[in-house]
Amino acid sequence: MSVQIPPTERLRTDTIQINMGPHHPSTHGVFRMVLTLDGETVVDLEPRFGYLHRGIEKTAEERTYVQNVPFTDRLDYICGITNNWAYALALEKLAGIEVPERAEYIRVILGELTRVMNHMLAIGFLWNDLGATTFTPVVYAFRERERILDLIEMAAGSRMMPSYIRAGGVVADLPEEFMPRLQKLVPHLKRFIDEMDTMLTKNEIFRARAVGVGVLKAKDAINAGISGPVLRASGVPYDIRKVDSYSIYDRFDFEVPVHTAGDVYARYLQRLAEARQSLRIIEQAMRDIPEGPVTSLPYKQLSRLKPPKGEAYGRIESPKGELGFYLVSDGSNKPYRFRIRSTSLLNLTLLREMCIGHKVADVVTILGSIDITLGDVDR
Amino acid sequence: MYGTGLLKGLSVTLRHMIGTFVTDVRKFPRRYFRDGVHPTRSPEPYLHGAFSIQYPEEKVPMWPRFRGPLVHLRDPETGQPRCTACGMCERACPHGCIKVEGEGKGKERKPTLYQYNVGRCIFCRQCVESCPFNAIELSRFYELACYDKDTIWDLPRLLELGDKEEIKEQGQFWGET
Amino acid sequence: MENVWTIENVWNAIGMALQNWLAGFLPAWLVTLIMDLLVIVVLLAIGIVAVLILSFLERKVAARAGDRYGPNRWGPYGVLQPFADAIKMLIKEDIVPHVADRFSFNLAPVIVTVGAVMTYAVLPFGRNMVAANLNIGILYFAAVGSLSIIGLLTAGWGSRNKYALISAFRSVAQLITYEVPLALCIICVVMLAGSLSTQDIVLAQQERGWFFLLMPGIFILYFLAASAEMIRCPFDLLEADSEIVAGHFIEYSGMKFALFFLAEYIHLFAGSAMMVTLFFGGWLGPWLPSWLWFLIKTFVVIFVFMWIRNTFPRIRIDQVLKIGWKVMVPAGLVGLAITGFVDKLIADTLIAGVVLFVCNIALIVGVSYFMGRAQRQKEMAAEGAALR
Repeated sequence: MSVQIPPTERLRTDTIQINMGPHHPSTHGVFRMVLTLDGETVVDLEPRFGYLHRGIEKTAEERTYVQNVPFTDRLDYICGITNNWAYALALEKLAGIEVPERAEYIRVILGELTRVMNHMLAIGFLWNDLGATTFTPVVYAFRERERILDLIEMAAGSRMMPSYIRAGGVVADLPEEFMPRLQKLVPHLKRFIDEMDTMLTKNEIFRARAVGVGVLKAKDAINAGISGPVLRASGVPYDIRKVDSYSIYDRFDFEVPVHTAGDVYARYLQRLAEARQSLRIIEQAMRDIPEGPVTSLPYKQLSRLKPPKGEAYGRIESPKGELGFYLVSDGSNKPYRFRIRSTSLLNLTLLREMCIGHKVADVVTILGSIDITLGDVDR
Repeated sequence: MYGTGLLKGLSVTLRHMIGTFVTDVRKFPRRYFRDGVHPTRSPEPYLHGAFSIQYPEEKVPMWPRFRGPLVHLRDPETGQPRCTACGMCERACPHGCIKVEGEGKGKERKPTLYQYNVGRCIFCRQCVESCPFNAIELSRFYELACYDKDTIWDLPRLLELGDKEEIKEQGQFWGET
Repeated sequence: MENVWTIENVWNAIGMALQNWLAGFLPAWLVTLIMDLLVIVVLLAIGIVAVLILSFLERKVAARAGDRYGPNRWGPYGVLQPFADAIKMLIKEDIVPHVADRFSFNLAPVIVTVGAVMTYAVLPFGRNMVAANLNIGILYFAAVGSLSIIGLLTAGWGSRNKYALISAFRSVAQLITYEVPLALCIICVVMLAGSLSTQDIVLAQQERGWFFLLMPGIFILYFLAASAEMIRCPFDLLEADSEIVAGHFIEYSGMKFALFFLAEYIHLFAGSAMMVTLFFGGWLGPWLPSWLWFLIKTFVVIFVFMWIRNTFPRIRIDQVLKIGWKVMVPAGLVGLAITGFVDKLIADTLIAGVVLFVCNIALIVGVSYFMGRAQRQKEMAAEGAALR
């Protein structure tokens, strides 16, 4: 005997709440998301972070300006050089310190190398989130990261936490073997990016997974304070190196790629294109680097630095977005307020809007395409 | 054609797979058994070929500027440690890893207690930069695993490790001195 | 019963010798019983040895694709690694969550493993080496292979864990979907071979040529459907580590997990062996003994599966189902129609073969054209989406 369900009575279903918890193979660190699912579709998403909060901003108020440099390395621990640079910029603005030419060129070279490394890693981990479970693109990206980290270790003494860039210049001059190795490395990196392009870009499965997923509209992005490759992949040509040029970036000839689709695929293409532009900048810097001193403030003066009362905001285009330091000084040798405008935290603002309506598998992909580092989110 | 992207990806992976065997053959028998090839330090960076090092048997030497744990240096003529327990390193350290006490006055001042907490050190090198007497430097050891998180090294240990390292002067590889 | 000791015939010869020896002092019914039990034990042994070799091979191939070496510490070149893995899994604590449904939880690995191992009975390992030469061989294979679906659902339900439940839903959807194109491809092969028995299919390929040359389109369809059935990349979203950590076996540990693991690799070996039987000529080949050819071909197919696993990301569940129902089933039906017409209308086998090849290439081109068009439309719609 069949039962007739009256057409006006809708099928009552229930939503499940799933916790993609802090321990998860692909949340890029200890990051928690509480998802409400209707079958496979995401209905609501609540990000909860703070699992890596170390109190850097408060601790920095008890330390002198030069003792804070190692803390800045540990924010976005993948790109240590650019964090140091942002802090150095802020302090130079605050105290009115000049930087010699050679130091600027060294900073640009290392900063752009870090950008290449970060974008390659971001692409590799995006593929890991998409499901290339045996890590093959990740391993390729890590291999090149090894070569770049080797160069950074040669110059700074440590791979991940360089503490190499300080207000006034850099800590020490580049050793002699740096330039020859760099000259061999740059064509190699170009070939590597081409190989990743061949392997990954036209892959039909990737395109089916990534096109149209996690679309971020340009006006929403501008309203929410999103910056970096995520913003430029949504069609807004805003790059601090061109708009609010710091250091010597106005001397280099490079383009700012922009994509208009705003989805995961566009962000992937954006990072690939930016990596290529970074290699262009490195070539020009290698060609033009002058001789000279590398710092205008040796350690003995920097450790006793007492900037005049005031405030300064120094920002750079870090590989993940805009990283800024807001320093307030009250005339002593310790900062009164050490505020970090963190990239990854503000890029996560629109995670909920980007994910609603997509499937569970897409949530992980979208998170991977924003490219966060928990050290920066939680400070 | 719809499937060409997939085939291109497959060809790249196959090329890498074959590449690892080819390097093995080219470098046999050194690859598995003796030291020799260090992939990051090869003169020409290569895209295809195995990139791992068999750790305990093959070790990569660290660059001269590598920042490891702290060691003390001796004066080459007299053989005495140069430290005068001035306390600059204690003040410069962001984490408070160093504790120094000394006795004596002026040129004859010597340290009686020098405690360095390896577990807390972040290897930032600010103590070395602040030392006015050229007495300490960072070494290149990296095999530091131990059973106790608060391992404290004291002065005799630091001097002994300093003798093992080849650094003679502070900032020798950093373009100072 | 004559016993010919050649290298081609060595396994059969050993069996015959044992049977003759047993018949000397045991009644006939006991001898038959013992020989049948021995066959079962041998099949299980093949399964387990296959798992050991495959799990090791998987790790080595994945490592080589990533410019590294894989396990190379235990034994020369790491060949004792699977034994270390086995010991590790055996000595782990067997945890059953206290809210889980005990009966389903314990039953699930058993169903999955049984479903996988039973398929070995019809694989033709060599010229006269089929455990049970059923004249409905392929039908048996397809039917028994679907037993594991129930096992997966039981595992997902019995674990009482939301992740496992999601995975169980997905697995039922995917595995049922891909039974249809699988069956359609099998029917095409059976039409050309004229029989459902696996030995007869292999012998038919001896006269007509290997079927993957005759029907490349159907072969590709079977390849994709079989990777979906065996839960291999790019269809391995059921055990997706990156979203639903380990899927339906999230709550299992120790020996039960080892059984799932075993079942997966046994199924992989069986699926590849069936692909070799249907399309690559089974044990046919010049000069080397037939069972060696069978093994070589199976391992080549398994290598291709691993190669694909190391290169591609995985497909999302709704896309999997879309491709299954909207692309593969129509393609399979068209292929079935082509095969039927060509086989019955054209009498000469050579001309039939060539026409079939051409029609299959046309099928591949047609499918790729339609899928490419759909993809291009989607991309054109996505272009400029952020600025609207």
